[in-house]
Amino acid sequence: MKHRARWIALSAGAVVVVLAIVLATQVGTDPRADANKSHLLGQTAPAYDLPTLDGGRVRSSDLAGKVVIVNFWNSWCIPCQQEHPALTEFFRRHAGDPGFAMVGIVRDDTDSAVRSYVTDEGVPYTVALDPGAQASLDFGTRGQPETYAISPDGVIAGTQFGPSSVTNLEQMYAAARGQR
Amino acid sequence: MTRRLLPWLALAAVVVVTLAIVVWPSGGKPSAAERARSIGSELRCPDCESQSIAQSSTETARAARADIRQRIAAGQSDADIRQAYIDKFGDSILLKPESSGLGILVWGLPAAALVLGGGGLVLALRRWRREPHLHATDADRELVQQARPVR
Amino acid sequence: MKPALGVLALALGASGALLGVGTLGVGLARHDDRLLRAGRRYVFVVLAAAVLAAGIMEWALLTHDFSLKYVAENNAKATPLLYTITGLWAALEGSILLWGLVLGGYLAFTAHKFRARATDPLVAWALLVGLVVALFFFGLMLGPANPFKTLGTAPADGQGPNPLLQNHPLMAFHPPMLYLGYVGFTVPFAFAIASLVTGRFGEGWLSETRRATLVAWGFLTVGIVLGAWWSYEVLGWGGYWAWDPVENASLLPWLTATAFIHSVMVQERRAMLRVWNLSLIIATFCLTILGTFLTRSGILNSVHSFTQSAIGPTLLVFLGIVAATGIGLIAWRGDQLRTPGRIDSPVSRESAFLANNLLFAALAFVVLLGTVYPLIAEAIQNKQLSVGEPYFDRMTTPVGLALLFLMAAAPALPWRRANEEVLRDRLLAPAWAGALTMVVAVALGVRELAQVVAFGLAAFALAGIVRQYVVGARGRRRATGEAWPLALVRAVRSNPRLYGGLLVHVGVVIAAVAIATSSAYSTKREVRLAQGQSATVRGYTLTYTGSHEKRSGQKNTVTADVHIRRGSDDLGTYAPAISTFPNASQGIGTPSVRTGFREDVYLTLVSSPNQQGRVTIGVALNPMVLWLWVGGGVMAAGTLLALSPSLRRRSRPVEEPVPAAPPTPEPEKVPV
Repeated sequence: MKHRARWIALSAGAVVVVLAIVLATQVGTDPRADANKSHLLGQTAPAYDLPTLDGGRVRSSDLAGKVVIVNFWNSWCIPCQQEHPALTEFFRRHAGDPGFAMVGIVRDDTDSAVRSYVTDEGVPYTVALDPGAQASLDFGTRGQPETYAISPDGVIAGTQFGPSSVTNLEQMYAAARGQR
Repeated sequence: MTRRLLPWLALAAVVVVTLAIVVWPSGGKPSAAERARSIGSELRCPDCESQSIAQSSTETARAARADIRQRIAAGQSDADIRQAYIDKFGDSILLKPESSGLGILVWGLPAAALVLGGGGLVLALRRWRREPHLHATDADRELVQQARPVR
Repeated sequence: MKPALGVLALALGASGALLGVGTLGVGLARHDDRLLRAGRRYVFVVLAAAVLAAGIMEWALLTHDFSLKYVAENNAKATPLLYTITGLWAALEGSILLWGLVLGGYLAFTAHKFRARATDPLVAWALLVGLVVALFFFGLMLGPANPFKTLGTAPADGQGPNPLLQNHPLMAFHPPMLYLGYVGFTVPFAFAIASLVTGRFGEGWLSETRRATLVAWGFLTVGIVLGAWWSYEVLGWGGYWAWDPVENASLLPWLTATAFIHSVMVQERRAMLRVWNLSLIIATFCLTILGTFLTRSGILNSVHSFTQSAIGPTLLVFLGIVAATGIGLIAWRGDQLRTPGRIDSPVSRESAFLANNLLFAALAFVVLLGTVYPLIAEAIQNKQLSVGEPYFDRMTTPVGLALLFLMAAAPALPWRRANEEVLRDRLLAPAWAGALTMVVAVALGVRELAQVVAFGLAAFALAGIVRQYVVGARGRRRATGEAWPLALVRAVRSNPRLYGGLLVHVGVVIAAVAIATSSAYSTKREVRLAQGQSATVRGYTLTYTGSHEKRSGQKNTVTADVHIRRGSDDLGTYAPAISTFPNASQGIGTPSVRTGFREDVYLTLVSSPNQQGRVTIGVALNPMVLWLWVGGGVMAAGTLLALSPSLRRRSRPVEEPVPAAPPTPEPEKVPV
């Protein structure tokens, strides 16, 4: 074939151009975006039955009919510490409402570390432990902090990956209440 | 000719028989533990960068391994279990691209490239064989002699 | 003051490169020898500037000058001396500085080596291309990747380096080795471009750059093996290769460079494959830039990810220009450089090398495709996928085994054409060694196809290599009557390229066997032990004797002491640990490995003592991992051997002048 090198080089060039376009469009995008949102939005929330820090138990069946905010956290993660004041404030606002419940499920931590954190910083809502990481797996959690808002009929109405603000929490609460 | 090929044929026979023993299906379906390990190695551990559920030592990975074992015991198929995890965690939970849809690209292209390259090589070899060998003629030799500088 | 000096040094380097490019360019256009000689000197200016800038950065690090942003982010008062020094390459901007330094070194070495041919346009073009690359990297440092940025107010103490980077002294070696490899490929690339531009294939530059390529390849091999070692000994996830995008980025240029090292032999012997070799070198250089782009742009998930910055798009643009230039030049000149060479027979060493190149190219294609596939999927379908071990293992294993076969057969194949007798002589016995090894393996219970084939091919290759050494020594003995050891040494010294290459193949065989074994036969267990309690895993008794906590500077480390016994042998106490740093959210595990000839006992501390004082220890028994490092070492030794000067080339001293005969008046007869 005449000018064989030219043809081969130009076809290689075409492939390189396609690759360059693909790379260029992906610069600036977040490769972890998919991992940073929940795939359970709109689905029935998983059931859980976990021990609490003070020796009792918290069950999803007991909380049926209420709006439940579930927050996965632990004592060593810095964004969890950052969102702690927002969670406390949010809880304080709605604590009096009988149709509201809030559970903080500990993810990937030791009991003693959690206990010291709670003693030092104070957590006003129920702290549930997750031995065996079953709840973490059932909720499809990828890390912490992750917050899920569950409507009274058990559907996940809102999710937040990463630290939340009071505004986020109020929005999720409203979405869960609006769900019928 | 066969005489000379004998040692090679014997060699080939030994190799083929040995490989046959290895590849012969050992009978029976894979055990539950094998299935668990194989599924676990194809799913990414949810809170790891790129380790599989089978490899990772995080709590969630351990919970996932137990969950997979439970599902196998409950009779779910490999495809069902994989789909359950995709539903919960999204497509990025798979470590191996699907073999359908866009996945054909990543499985098929290398094979195609290899076939094309190999084919090109075979064609080139054939072409070289067909080209006439060049021999120097007397006229060529005279030309060279004239071109060489005289000492 | 330091930042100003540093920026000044960078500006000196950039302007030196720019002036060098200009002077050489004008000199080439005008065929002006004086300008060419002058332009060459700018290479040394660039080197001096790079040394100066790196020196200033080290000075800033050693004096803990936190007014520099880079020092504040990668160093702290309490950082040990070794990690202060290695802080130069701990993060993005510093690593670019290291790149510039190594590049300056290679360019200066090249300019010096070719000083006798400074006015040769080929050499001038090569230096020009090298200076353009240097200009780009210095420009990067003056722009988006400035290592000398200052902070408004200097903090009292710095953040300290990333915890993972101050865990192990390997940090001092792994990045510099990798860079000595990557950057080294710039030299043959520059000559390849020069050769295409001038349309010349000058005598001598090929063998000179072959040596440079071999040196760079050697360093890259060592860098990759050190990276695998780090992954295994330091990161603690239990393996040595994760097909992580950054690991793949270092593998890609290695694959094309290995292909080049082989196919260049065909070029030397048969004057063929010129354009293919030029393309391989250009591809290797492009892959080093692509690798840098992939790891520094934040575009892919990786354990190695640097932070995102404007450097990503800049690298992509540079890569585009380099690739376009290379492809354009080949499209323009490639057909003129083709030679009418041919390959006589499919069973010949040339054909084996062609097949070798095909397979290496296929491997590189697979690794590249798997690495960028997540980006393609996101661009087309907006889905986020990951491609991990299952894909890469499935695709690379067959190709790797085919290459192992070639490695066993090719060195025995003669050039041009093989006949049955030669093949029988050289290959039959080693092939039987391989076949019998397969039989033994299957008899011992190995049932994985890939392993059986790998063991057989490894034995085949090893037997063939031993045969070649023996034949070489025996030939020498027949000629000189020397004793075996001396004959062997002299034979090797007389053809170091061949025997060095064979030694590298030995290293590859050892590594292949290690990889085949360790990937299939590892045992992993987790045990929860109270103090004084023991557990038994496959013949090893592990006793948890206690734990202690240590605070040192920035690190808070919890260590568990585990005593290992096998039967009646006391194997010692090993101490896996978890360290926490104040500015990192998660603990970093440090494994403790008992390295053995047959297998490693790999201990990790999965969780520190809980309320009842129990620890969870991860135990993995990994067979043959030591041999992977040994294989890497043998490959490095083989490279050194291949680079050593040949005994044959050394000139004999002249003892007495021989009287010259008077010139004859007749023309010489040319023998036919």
